[in-house]
Amino acid sequence: MDTFVFVFAGAFATATPLLLAAMGELVVERTGVLNLSVEGMMAISAAIAFMVVYTTGSHSLGFLIGAVSAAALSVIFAVLVLVFLANQVAAGLAVGILGLGLSALLARSFESETLIPLRDINLPVLSDLPVVGPILFTHDPVVYLTIAIGLVLAWMFTKTRLGLILRVVGENPEAAHNLGFSVLRTRFWAIVFGGCMAGLAGAYASTVLTPVWSQGMIAGRGWIAVALVVFGTWKPLRVMFGAYFFGAALLAELAVQSLGIDIPSQIMSSMPYALTILVLAAVSKDTVRIRLNAPVSLGENYRPSA
Amino acid sequence: MKTPLKVILTAAMLSMGALSAAIADDAFKIGFIVPNPIGDVGWDHELDRGRQAVAEHFGDKVSIQAIDSVGEGPDSTRVMNKMASQGVDMIFLGSFGHMNDGLKLAKQYPDLAVVHAGGYQQADNFATYAVRHYEGAYLAGMAAGYATKSNTLGVIAAFPLPEVVGIMNAYVLGAQSVNPNLNDVKVIWMNSWFDPAKNKASAESLVSQGADVVFSLFPGTPSAVAASEELGVYTTVTLSDNSAFAPTRHLAAIQVDFGPIMIAKVQEAMDGKFVGNDTFAGIGENSVSVAGLSKDLSEEQKSAILAKQDEIRSGGFHPFQGPITDNKGKEAVAAGSKLDDGAVKGMNFLVQGIDTSLPN
Repeated sequence: MDTFVFVFAGAFATATPLLLAAMGELVVERTGVLNLSVEGMMAISAAIAFMVVYTTGSHSLGFLIGAVSAAALSVIFAVLVLVFLANQVAAGLAVGILGLGLSALLARSFESETLIPLRDINLPVLSDLPVVGPILFTHDPVVYLTIAIGLVLAWMFTKTRLGLILRVVGENPEAAHNLGFSVLRTRFWAIVFGGCMAGLAGAYASTVLTPVWSQGMIAGRGWIAVALVVFGTWKPLRVMFGAYFFGAALLAELAVQSLGIDIPSQIMSSMPYALTILVLAAVSKDTVRIRLNAPVSLGENYRPSA
Repeated sequence: MKTPLKVILTAAMLSMGALSAAIADDAFKIGFIVPNPIGDVGWDHELDRGRQAVAEHFGDKVSIQAIDSVGEGPDSTRVMNKMASQGVDMIFLGSFGHMNDGLKLAKQYPDLAVVHAGGYQQADNFATYAVRHYEGAYLAGMAAGYATKSNTLGVIAAFPLPEVVGIMNAYVLGAQSVNPNLNDVKVIWMNSWFDPAKNKASAESLVSQGADVVFSLFPGTPSAVAASEELGVYTTVTLSDNSAFAPTRHLAAIQVDFGPIMIAKVQEAMDGKFVGNDTFAGIGENSVSVAGLSKDLSEEQKSAILAKQDEIRSGGFHPFQGPITDNKGKEAVAAGSKLDDGAVKGMNFLVQGIDTSLPN
């Protein structure tokens, strides 16, 4: 039972940075822009948020300034692809590398410093329930906020005018333009939103999940977030499911090992990745629907005709 | 994904290095290449302490340039070649992954003395060194055996490599030597040299299985140590005293000290007597010791640990002296014999009482 709780309760915290970053990237990609700098944006925010929390002791300030710093980086990307019509893949990679480099440089003197992590909220009655309490009702506030963001996005894309505008910009920018929507403005704000979300993800990773600063601590989470968006076929609820599944699978690997079940650990270590791909592939095995869901103009720059 | 910083720093430091090389006159020039950023604990921190010991010991007689965050790959090739072409007399390579490039470099510059950490290949001007972590691991294991209340120990280990397996075995033998009621030791293989989040989650997983002492074996991050403090369980760790990360829960550390080995090799090279041999140094050479022993250990327990340390130092005790049974029930070391260094370095069995397996 302890193992069960460890896996399913821990999955929420493990998935939170992935999900925050993936939700941001999902919105960006829905408008037709592929931003591959998620890893770098998470890194810069992780570094800056860590330094802010280390100096001020305020986690909220850390999240805020972390989000702003990653958003600033995303503005560079936005200018490159929206104004100068740079190749999105190349621009994303370049900005990502810039973020990784800056993060290491800025937080150099903080290497292996530690922080006091954010406390879990204890809800009266609910947190004391057996099994369900520790799994669902004993988390830090950001875990709940992340779930709320995911649900709001799912609702927004299907039920609101804003969601439709974002989608039409990604599906057919020419049509959106002719309808009188500004493609570039929409994409710009989507990119900035993606930056803020990646920033929250990075701040969560360095100040809550593992409150120890080390260069390179994002360790590929940004890339996993990008992959989750694709395998979740640009659907917020599927991406959420994929992120939590991946988190649970990561922890299940550790639980299986500590139970002493005899499976080669190298195979176990690759399990979460393989399983997540399999499950999400099964969920979205209908190729027609994938094609329907993929934003048609993804990766293509748009220059409005005068 | 550490490339960009490396690029920036390498460029910056090499230009500084070029300056200092131009200024330095007849001092013996030594280059240090360290694979990762230098933190407060761990591998790179200890390499840097070794460098400081060399600087202190030789003073003006040496001029040192050190570059960190140079992992294996094209960066390290470039950095070490640049150093050699600037005319350094000696280079210390800090990563196992520097081996092949280092060997090529040594061949190219026959007058250069190269010292490589952790490798298994030598050449006339290419020496290697390693430390006997397992000696300290036996002592840290004793501390764990004393401190555990649940009689369940957990180990988080990097990769199933012979050196790591040897440290784990010695640790468990040490724990069993003072605690006959020990349950099977639980092991999580990280299969990674660096993953703070997985490291922390591993500690949580072991604790959820009842472990109350968590051994962090080459974690690459103090993350599991800090997590142990939070979870309220004791922690033991390799390489450095991690007390700062677990002020109340730090039980013992296997402290290494690369200074004595590095100083000896520098002296050899300065005297023109450099040999491309392998140094394997432990407690007897002041390269390994037990550090950061917890206040919660009783005076008798502490003195038993320190007495065992003296016994290892004097050669009166070897952690791998028989009889030792492996975890499949076969005899691994016969009574009255002990493992030689070759067998220690190639350790391919787990001792009885460890609940995991090794890849074939």
